[in-house]
Amino acid sequence: MRMTIRDEDDDDRRRFTRRALIAGGVQAAAFAAIAARVYYLQVVEGRRLATLANDNRMSERPILPKRGRILDRNGRVLAANIERFRVWVRPGDAARIRPALERIAQLLKLSEAEIDAIVAKAKVPARKRPVLVRAGVDFDAIAAIGLNAPELSGIEVDAVFDRTYAHGTATGHVVGHTGSVEQFALDDTALFRVPGARIGKTGVELGLDRDLRGQTGSTRVEVDARGDIVRVLGESDPVSGQDVTLTIDAPLQQRVLDLISGSERAAAVVIDVENGEVVAMASAPAYDPNLLTVNFDQPAFARLEADPHKPLINRAAAGLYPPGSTFKMVTALAALEAGVISTGERVSCRGAFHFAGETFRCWNRGGHGAVDLAEAIRKSCDVYFYDLAERLGVDRIAAMAKVLGLGQTYACGLGGQKDGLIPTTGWKRAVKGKGWLRGETILAGIGQGYVLATPLQLAVMTARLATGRVVVPTLVKVGRERMPAGPIFPPLQINPDGLDAVRRAMIGVVHAPDGTGGNAALDAGEVLIAGKTGTSQVWASGREAAPKEERYELRDHALFVSFFPATAPRYAVSLVVEHGGSGGQTAAPLVRDLARLIIQEPSLAANGVAEVIR
Amino acid sequence: MRRMAIVAGGLDVLRGVPRSHWTVMALVSLLCGIGIATLYSVEGGSFRPWAERHGLRFLAGLAGIMVMLAVPATAWLRVAAPAYLASLGLLMLVPVVGTEVLGARRWLDFGFGSFQPGELMKVALVMMLAAYYQWLPKERVGDAVWVAVPVLLIVIPAAFTVRQPDLGSAMLYAITGLGIMFMAGVPLVYFAASAVLAAAASPLIWSMLHGYQQRRIEIFLDPGSDPLGAGYHIQQSKIAFGAGGLSGTGYMKGTQSQLDFLPEKHTDFIFTMFAEEWGFAGAVVLLALQAALVLVLWRMMMSAETRFARLLIAGAALTIFLYAVVNAAMVTGLVPVVGVPMPFVSYGGTSMMSLMAALGLALSAAADRGSLGADGDRRRGLRPAF
Repeated sequence: MRMTIRDEDDDDRRRFTRRALIAGGVQAAAFAAIAARVYYLQVVEGRRLATLANDNRMSERPILPKRGRILDRNGRVLAANIERFRVWVRPGDAARIRPALERIAQLLKLSEAEIDAIVAKAKVPARKRPVLVRAGVDFDAIAAIGLNAPELSGIEVDAVFDRTYAHGTATGHVVGHTGSVEQFALDDTALFRVPGARIGKTGVELGLDRDLRGQTGSTRVEVDARGDIVRVLGESDPVSGQDVTLTIDAPLQQRVLDLISGSERAAAVVIDVENGEVVAMASAPAYDPNLLTVNFDQPAFARLEADPHKPLINRAAAGLYPPGSTFKMVTALAALEAGVISTGERVSCRGAFHFAGETFRCWNRGGHGAVDLAEAIRKSCDVYFYDLAERLGVDRIAAMAKVLGLGQTYACGLGGQKDGLIPTTGWKRAVKGKGWLRGETILAGIGQGYVLATPLQLAVMTARLATGRVVVPTLVKVGRERMPAGPIFPPLQINPDGLDAVRRAMIGVVHAPDGTGGNAALDAGEVLIAGKTGTSQVWASGREAAPKEERYELRDHALFVSFFPATAPRYAVSLVVEHGGSGGQTAAPLVRDLARLIIQEPSLAANGVAEVIR
Repeated sequence: MRRMAIVAGGLDVLRGVPRSHWTVMALVSLLCGIGIATLYSVEGGSFRPWAERHGLRFLAGLAGIMVMLAVPATAWLRVAAPAYLASLGLLMLVPVVGTEVLGARRWLDFGFGSFQPGELMKVALVMMLAAYYQWLPKERVGDAVWVAVPVLLIVIPAAFTVRQPDLGSAMLYAITGLGIMFMAGVPLVYFAASAVLAAAASPLIWSMLHGYQQRRIEIFLDPGSDPLGAGYHIQQSKIAFGAGGLSGTGYMKGTQSQLDFLPEKHTDFIFTMFAEEWGFAGAVVLLALQAALVLVLWRMMMSAETRFARLLIAGAALTIFLYAVVNAAMVTGLVPVVGVPMPFVSYGGTSMMSLMAALGLALSAAADRGSLGADGDRRRGLRPAF
C-alpha cells in the first residue's frame, strides 16, 4: 500500500518535472524567438529601417528660386518678381490646430467660420499636405508670426514669387506669362513639387523657362513627430534664374501694337535681317498678362478666354494663315532652281488655268496677257504660278519653302510657336491617308490649299529672300548661348541670279505703277520698299475668287511681306490683317507706316538705316 | 513586545532567505534600474515625472516583498478564495463606476488613488488556482468536473476583462491559468480538446471583440493597410529598433523616441526606446535579464516542496514571462498591440504592484518550510478556507 502511494508520488514527481521542462523549453524558445526578431530588426534590417528613421526626422523644406527677369533691348524690366507670403497650417487634430489659429486670427483677419473651415480640412487623418490659411500676407504679419513661432505649433510660413509685367499689354504676347505647375516633368521634380511654384506658360516665359527658372534650394531640418522644426541641419541656397534681355523695345512694341490695333485681328513681325533679331512682334487684340499672374482676376480671364477674337493667342507666332500670294516667291524660286522656267519666259494668262477638266481662275478675270516672272510677281498673276506649280509638282515647291524657313518653329526663345504646314505628297499620304491630287499642287503654288504659315515664318522667309542667307530669328539679345544663330548666317543654297530677279520684282510690286503693293511705298526721298501682297482666301477651295463677303468670318485675309531699304536690306516685315480684305488695300498701307516707324525709331538709329535714307 | 516579535521574525526570515531569493531580487533591481534610466531619458534628462516615481514604487515593492516573506504560506492559502472573490467583485464594479481612460474602462477611482482591478485579479487568480490544487486531492486532478472548476475560475474574470475592453489582460489570465493547470498535472487530453474548441470558437470570439480590437488584429495581419492610422505605432516602433542598430544611438540620443515619433514610450514602448538607444546589445541584455529571472523562478519552482508553492511560483514566473515576451513581440511587430508592459521596466503603478505581489507570494511560499508541510504528507498541512 505504502509502496503504491510512493509509486504514485514518484509518477507525480516525474510528470511535474517533465512538464516543468516542457514549459521551460517553450519559454526559452519564446525568448530566443524574440531575440531573433530583435536581431532581424536591428541588425539585418537595421540599415533600411535607420534610413526610414532619418526620413522621419529629416525634412527637406524647399526654397523657391527667384525667377530671372525679362528685360527689353534697352534694359527696361518687362517681367519682374514680387514676393508674396503665405501662411499654412500642418494637418493634425483640432485640439492642436485651433489654438494656434486663434492666436493668429486677428493678425490675419480670420473669421470664426474660416477657422472652422481650415480646421475641418486639416484634421482629415489622411491629409499630409499643409492647409493654406492665408495667401498674400503682408510682411509685418509674417514677422509677427515668426516672433511667436514657439507658441504656434503647426503654423508655417512661406514665400512665393508672383510675376509682374511693367509694360503689360505692349509686351504681353512676346513675354507671355507664368502659371502654376499642372504637369509634372520627371527632370524637374524638385521645383515642381513645391506648392506655389510657377513656370512659364506662354511666350518667352515658356520658351526660355529653363533659363529663367533657376534651381530650387532647400533647408534640411530635423523635425519632431508633430512636424515642428527642432533644428536646422543645413541649407542650400536656391539659385536664381538668369535674367534675359530681349531684342524688342517696349515703347516700339506699343507703337507697333497701336498701329495694327486699328484692325480687329492683326499681327506684325519685324526682323533685323543682319542678325535675326526680332525687333518688334505684335498681335492684336492684345491682353494684359498681369491679369493672369499678380493681379489674377478670374472673371477677366474668363472674358479673355471667351472672346471670339482670341486675344490670348499670339497671332504673330501661333496664328496660321494661308500665305496666299506672299508664297509666290517660293514657287518662283523653286521653278528657277528646277529650271522649269527662265526669268524671261512668258506665260499667257487669259484669266483662268485649265487642268484636268477643272478651271483655276486668276484674281484678274480679264487676264494678264503674256507675263514673265517680274510681271507675274508685280501683278500677282495667279495663272503664271498655277502653270509653274503644275510644272514643278508639290514636293519641289515644298523643298524650296523649307529652304526659306517655312513649316518650322525656331529656337528663338519664344514658346507656343506653331509649325504651319507645307504640304508634300508624303504628308498627305501619312496624315490624310490619300494620294496627292495634282490639282492641289496648283493651289499650293499660290499659297492656298493646305499651305499655312505664321507671320513670324513669313518674316523669316522674307529676311532670307532679302539677304540670300539662312536668317534664323531670335528674341534674345544677350545670353543667347543656346540660340543656334551666329552673327553671320550661311548663304542659302539658291542661285543668286534667281534671288536677285525675285527681289527686283518685289521692288516693282511697291514702286512700279502696275504693282499691287503701291500703297506700301514711302514718299519720294525716303527708302525704297520691296514687298509682296497677299490676299488669301479663307475658304480653301480657291477655285472661285471669294466674293466681297459681308460676313467678317468669311472675308479674305490681307497680307503683306516686305524688306527695306530695298537696295540694302536691313529689316524684313510681315503683316497680316485677319479678314482684312485685300493685301494691297489693307495690309500694304500698314506696312508703309510700320516701315516709317522702324526707320524713324530712335532706339534703332544705331542700326544705320537713317544713313541709308539720306 | 508584539511589534518587536514581528520585527525579529522579519529579520529571522531574512536570515533564512535562500540564495535564489536574493538572485531574484537582484535581477528585479537591475530591471527596475534599466526602467529608471530609460524613463530619465524619456523626459530628455529628468527624473520627473516618471523616473523618480518608478524608483519609489520599486522601493515600495521591494519592501512589500520583504514583508510578504514574513507571512507564513498558510495565511496566503487562507486568503486565496476571499482575495479572488473580492477581485472579481471589483472587476464587476468597473463597468458600473469605472473611470474611462483612453477609451477603455479599466480603472476604479478611490479618491486617494486609482487602480485597475484587472491587475489585482492577475495575482488573485494565480493564488486561487494554486490554492485550489493544494486543496484538490491529486487523484481528482484529471476528473472532468475538477477540470471544469479552474476553467470557470479563469473564464469568468477573462470575460469581464474582454468587455472593458482589455484583450491583453484577458489573454494573460487565460494563458497563465492554463499554464498553472498544466503544471498542476491536468491530463494533456484536456489541453488538446480545448485547443480544438478554441479554434472552433474563434469566429464567436471574433464577433465578441470590439471594433477597434478587430481592427488591431486586421492591421496586425496587414500593417501596410493603415500606415498613418493604427499601424503607425508599430511601424514607428520597428523603425526605432532599426535606428538603434547593433550598438544603439547612445543614451539619451535616440532620435525616434526623443523626437516623439515613438508613442507611449514610457509605458508599453519603453523596450523600443531602450533598444534604440542601446542597440541590439542592450536589447539582448534586457531580454537576458528577464529570461534569467524566469529561469531562477523556474528552478525555484522545481525544488519547492508544496504544490501550493510550486504553482504560485509557476504563476509568477509565467506572468513575468508572458509580460516580457508579449510586450517584446508587440513592439517588434510580431503580435498585435495589446497593451502589455515590460515587467519592472515600463512605468505604471498597478502593473509594478501586481508583479511585485506575484513575486512576493512566490518567494514567500517558496521560503516557507514549516507551516504547510511537504506535498507528500498533505494531512499535516492546512486546507485552504473554502
